[in-house]
Amino acid sequence: MSIKYAILGILAERDLHGYELKTNFDDKVGEFWSLNFGQIYSTLDRLEKDGLVTHDRQAQDKRPDRKIFSITKKGRIILTQWLSTPISKVRALRDEFFIKLVFMDKDNPAAVLDLIEKQKMLHLKHMNRLTRRKVALKSKICNRDTLPTELLLDAGLFHAEADIKWLTLCETKIKTEIKRKE
Amino acid sequence: MDRSDEKTEELTMIELRHAGRKFRQGLREVKALSDVSLVIRKGEFLSIMGPSGSGKSTLLNLIGGLDRPTEGEVILDGRPLHGITDDQVTLLRRRHVGYVFQFFNLLPLLTACENVGLPLLLDGLPFSKVKQKAEALLEKVGLAERIEHRPDQLSGGEMQRVAIARALIADPAVLLADEPTGNLDSHTGEEIFLLLKSLNDRGQTIVMVTHDPKAAAYGSRIVTLKDGHPAQDICIGED
Repeated sequence: MSIKYAILGILAERDLHGYELKTNFDDKVGEFWSLNFGQIYSTLDRLEKDGLVTHDRQAQDKRPDRKIFSITKKGRIILTQWLSTPISKVRALRDEFFIKLVFMDKDNPAAVLDLIEKQKMLHLKHMNRLTRRKVALKSKICNRDTLPTELLLDAGLFHAEADIKWLTLCETKIKTEIKRKE
Repeated sequence: MDRSDEKTEELTMIELRHAGRKFRQGLREVKALSDVSLVIRKGEFLSIMGPSGSGKSTLLNLIGGLDRPTEGEVILDGRPLHGITDDQVTLLRRRHVGYVFQFFNLLPLLTACENVGLPLLLDGLPFSKVKQKAEALLEKVGLAERIEHRPDQLSGGEMQRVAIARALIADPAVLLADEPTGNLDSHTGEEIFLLLKSLNDRGQTIVMVTHDPKAAAYGSRIVTLKDGHPAQDICIGED
């Protein structure tokens, strides 16, 4: 769904062939989102059928022609509309960890607390990795615009932090429950 | 002592051996910390993380000689903090430890430059000499334009930068920070952490206590405290 708009967004900057599109995509959001060539080409096909993208053939020495893709006027209109519309769908509350909590042994809260602790540590390690990437990004002298990547890393950090806070609250509530039963 | 022990010694900045701290609250005895054994290596950026009441500030105070353990030992850069007088501990602390607090603790009537230089002035160094060093440090923390400003003319982030420069004035072996961004917004806080990180990259040993996972994540190592005892020790490799 958003791959379509990401590709339109990249082509709105300049015309590119498929391989360049992929590198450009990886550069911009690859940190959080991996995309294979198959997905890129099938999306390009669909965009072409919808008249949002078109292509030119470029002859190459001893190799088959390559396709240079460009965005159409209609494509630009669709992209601009999409860019200016907020997302009305709220992130789904469907955490795998929550399912674990539901099915954990009620008579063995120590095991639940242990699992929570381990989960928190994993989040903390993840935050440390994201922070290191952010520090590296900010200390690198780069001519391309790194702000969107930095903001994505921040989003990852805030989400992990929220998970840790939630797990800490789980811990406290489970402990309170244990005390109440004693 | 064999060679490997010598090597370990060389790389150790702070060592706690079975350190504990009890407080009396009326008739009750409260154990803020118990049996903490911890080695902090030179050049490390250690985050100590835990909820309030987990003993993390007490631990930082023991490391920096602001407080003394009721059990066990603390060794700072090869110098034991036990078996010496309080005055000797104070002197060691002034010479070897830099402190950064949540509430900046700057003197309101002094300029940024004077605040930064104060620890050396108290040591009896002439102002001309101190001034040069204080100005260089203010430049290092990005405040070249704020040297003559007083705290009320500075933003929160700038005040914390002044406090960091002040903590560095005596070339401390270790920089200790207690919730250094607890009083700052996310963006300003991030700039403070990037500054600490760049100091660490240049070899400064840093120990920071915090309850904030975003802050702790800047460390090269994270120790979590639980009920006055280290619970987890995460060393982060370069993956």
